[in-house]
Amino acid sequence: MVATESIDGVLPRETIEPSSAEDVAATLASAAKQRSSVVIRGGGTKMGWGRTPASVDMVLSTKRLTALVAHEHADLTATVQAGARLDEVNRVLGRHGQWLPVESAFDEATIGGAIATNDSGPLRHRYGTPRDLLIGIRLALTDGRLIKAGGNVVKNVAGYDLGKLISGSHGSLAAIVSATFKLSPQPGASSTLVATFDGADALIASLAAITSSQLEASAIEVRAVSSAASGFSGTSRGYGLLLKFESTPVALNAHVRQARALAGGATCEVVAAQSEADLWRAHLRSPWQSPGMIVKFAWMPASLGAVLALVDDLRASVTGIELTGRAAIGSGLLRVDADPRVQRNVVERLRSRTDVFRHVVVLRADAAVKQQLDVWGPLGDAGALGASVKHALDPHGILNAGRGPV
Amino acid sequence: MIDASFVSELRRLCGDDAVVTEPLELLTYECDGLPHLRHTPPAVVLPSSAEGVQAAVRLCHRRDVPFVARGHGSGLSGGALPIPGGLVIGLARLNRVLDVDIPNRRVTVEPGVTNLEITRRVAPHGFYYAPDPSSQQVCSIGGNVAENSGGAHCLKYGFTVHHVLGVEAVLSNGDLVQLDSAIADAPGPDLLGVLIGSEGTLAVVTKVTVRILRKPEAVQTLLAAYDDIPAAGTAVSEIIAAGIIPAAVEIMDGVSLVAIEAAVHPNFPPAEAILIVELDGPVAEVREQFAEVEKICHRAGATTVEVAQDEEHRARIWKGRKGAFASMGRVTPNYYVQDGVVPRTKLPEVLDRIRQLEARCGLRIGNVFHAGDGNLHPLICYDEKIPGQSDLAAQVGAEILQYCIDAGGSLTGEHGIGADKAEYMPKMFTDDDLDVMLAVRRAFDPKGLCNPGKIFPTPRLCGEVPGPYRAHPIEKAGLGERF
Repeated sequence: MVATESIDGVLPRETIEPSSAEDVAATLASAAKQRSSVVIRGGGTKMGWGRTPASVDMVLSTKRLTALVAHEHADLTATVQAGARLDEVNRVLGRHGQWLPVESAFDEATIGGAIATNDSGPLRHRYGTPRDLLIGIRLALTDGRLIKAGGNVVKNVAGYDLGKLISGSHGSLAAIVSATFKLSPQPGASSTLVATFDGADALIASLAAITSSQLEASAIEVRAVSSAASGFSGTSRGYGLLLKFESTPVALNAHVRQARALAGGATCEVVAAQSEADLWRAHLRSPWQSPGMIVKFAWMPASLGAVLALVDDLRASVTGIELTGRAAIGSGLLRVDADPRVQRNVVERLRSRTDVFRHVVVLRADAAVKQQLDVWGPLGDAGALGASVKHALDPHGILNAGRGPV
Repeated sequence: MIDASFVSELRRLCGDDAVVTEPLELLTYECDGLPHLRHTPPAVVLPSSAEGVQAAVRLCHRRDVPFVARGHGSGLSGGALPIPGGLVIGLARLNRVLDVDIPNRRVTVEPGVTNLEITRRVAPHGFYYAPDPSSQQVCSIGGNVAENSGGAHCLKYGFTVHHVLGVEAVLSNGDLVQLDSAIADAPGPDLLGVLIGSEGTLAVVTKVTVRILRKPEAVQTLLAAYDDIPAAGTAVSEIIAAGIIPAAVEIMDGVSLVAIEAAVHPNFPPAEAILIVELDGPVAEVREQFAEVEKICHRAGATTVEVAQDEEHRARIWKGRKGAFASMGRVTPNYYVQDGVVPRTKLPEVLDRIRQLEARCGLRIGNVFHAGDGNLHPLICYDEKIPGQSDLAAQVGAEILQYCIDAGGSLTGEHGIGADKAEYMPKMFTDDDLDVMLAVRRAFDPKGLCNPGKIFPTPRLCGEVPGPYRAHPIEKAGLGERF
């Protein structure tokens, strides 16, 4: 038994830290027998994501499952246990000049948590989300079985891809024990262009010019904040575009020059080396290090104008507003630091504009806000189908009980 | 079962002209691109709308009739093989491009639209649809979704599952559902991610939205000739070790090269192995990396390195590679194409086992492979007129799959399990693995009506309805040409 922390103010009865895959499966089987509700914990960085549970019987921690099982560097693949930290894994993979291009705003984020939430960062623009890099998965089910899907090879269409199914399941279907990923070579060089605009229209015009060109950026981020956010000084006023390029050293300069020309009337700054790393770290973390509700949402890329108009509108009345997002994909986080009524209003506004905004999910909010809305929002047809899959894999409904998404 | 009353109800629901029951016409639907597995269906319905698909599926659900959705029948694993006593739902008439949305970088099509049609529609705007299976001129997007199709460029660009944003699909009870993918930020389990590649066993897709990519600024292709396969393999390993991810990396061996030269005349230099490497991306980057690739190819012992000087030259190089399967007819009366995957580093070891097998069995085995991702396509040459050779070719194919599994690989990289390899699934997965996949299947399709008998082996596990028609080994190996 270890000390436990609360989940949305609910104190779990116990925390179990299995030390092997078999142990995870046995723990789940015994919990299922006793109909104990189980919340799975990786690094504990996203424990507040999901609905507020009525009660939690057990926290199953992957803390002791941290092995890098295999790094087949010549095959550009690696198998890692669920509890391994992303930064630790990448430190080891770096010895062979490779990495798993999955980012997290949190130091302690684990492989299992990244898959379970399918969380990603700005580099999603180039590399995709964890589910896009996952090639094999090992799962422990609530009936005590250990199963696998996929494999160790990057090209494989044998059987159902349960790794995809588990991506985004937030620990509600099965426990991830280990996972195999395809890796990427570390880029030879990188550099970032920070373009600051006075108005939304200018940003949108530059973005269109850049995404219509044949430049291949690794990240295209939009930023809009109402005041200097903690730890980030790049674009404290107006609107910012952050363009990261990764390439060979010679090609890199050409890309940045070209991007700068396309950015038009913006105020531009080129950032490289350690300041570049610091900039991205600050950008990724900035919403999480400031107070307020954090909403993840998607939009049609060409509707960025509507997103920025909403931000503008909110900036007029609320001091703590921050948008960070993948501008070319149409996906981002909106932080709203205001009273609970305003926060709820923002979520309702986003959810009512189904022509522009999709999949509006509240990731972080106070219990007072969470009580007044469904953090997941309507799941549509995926709701019933997801429930049916949930029933098939977790028939007693013990996993992430009451917290969703299924 | 499909009786007269079923057919008349189907006609009433979908229209007379959408229902095929004429024996001669039904022959068209008896197999897909795996012609040795065939079964004439009792009826085929060809709906022109999602509502038509729904009506047919609801009828099947009410009467407990299994069904298989069929695109353009180019699949290579018998995924669209009719189910005994079941209905074939042909989606060829659902062939409209519904929306070309350049500003939002997406295209929405019906499942009967061909893969290449999407690129054709967006090419004038400077865009393309990345997955490019070699059948892309004829294969349907619906089939691509079912098989999670890749193509020569999937090493860098991924598979269908990396490019589909959302679908509309008919579940086995006839419900029409909209599913967004995790790449479109749909919260919750990635249901669409598992539907893609489920070989038509979870739902029938009636609408597909895919993302499109900006055409790369530059494409450069080279061909390097080697005296043996290991030297070509060394070049591939060094390219990857240099941190370069080519758009495509292909190897053809001596046996296949003789056939290719005879059939397609690409004028390749004489060699025991030819390596094709293609890089794409921004001009400055491609130029720099390509010079590195050239150096690596020479260092690995290339006897010739030929850089495509123009589009015509590049097309000629690819013509040789893409014509490889069809060319085998020039050197052998019959051949059998296998599709297996091994970790790239295990290629030399597995190719060596295949060479030993070749010497032992007396059949020639050509090898064409996507070297970047370890996807082998051994071409087993035989003559069906020589007693026992058809059987032997089938055994040799199975033996090679075993080598792939032994090396930690997969039964299929791109052709699918379908009806063809279902019996081999226990080589790769435990009973528990398969049982859990079947539980997921039942969650989508409780009655097991959606393309039963595919992917999962017989004897069937709980909940499965009767398995597929199984060909006698002689028939099984008596292949026609695969395309």
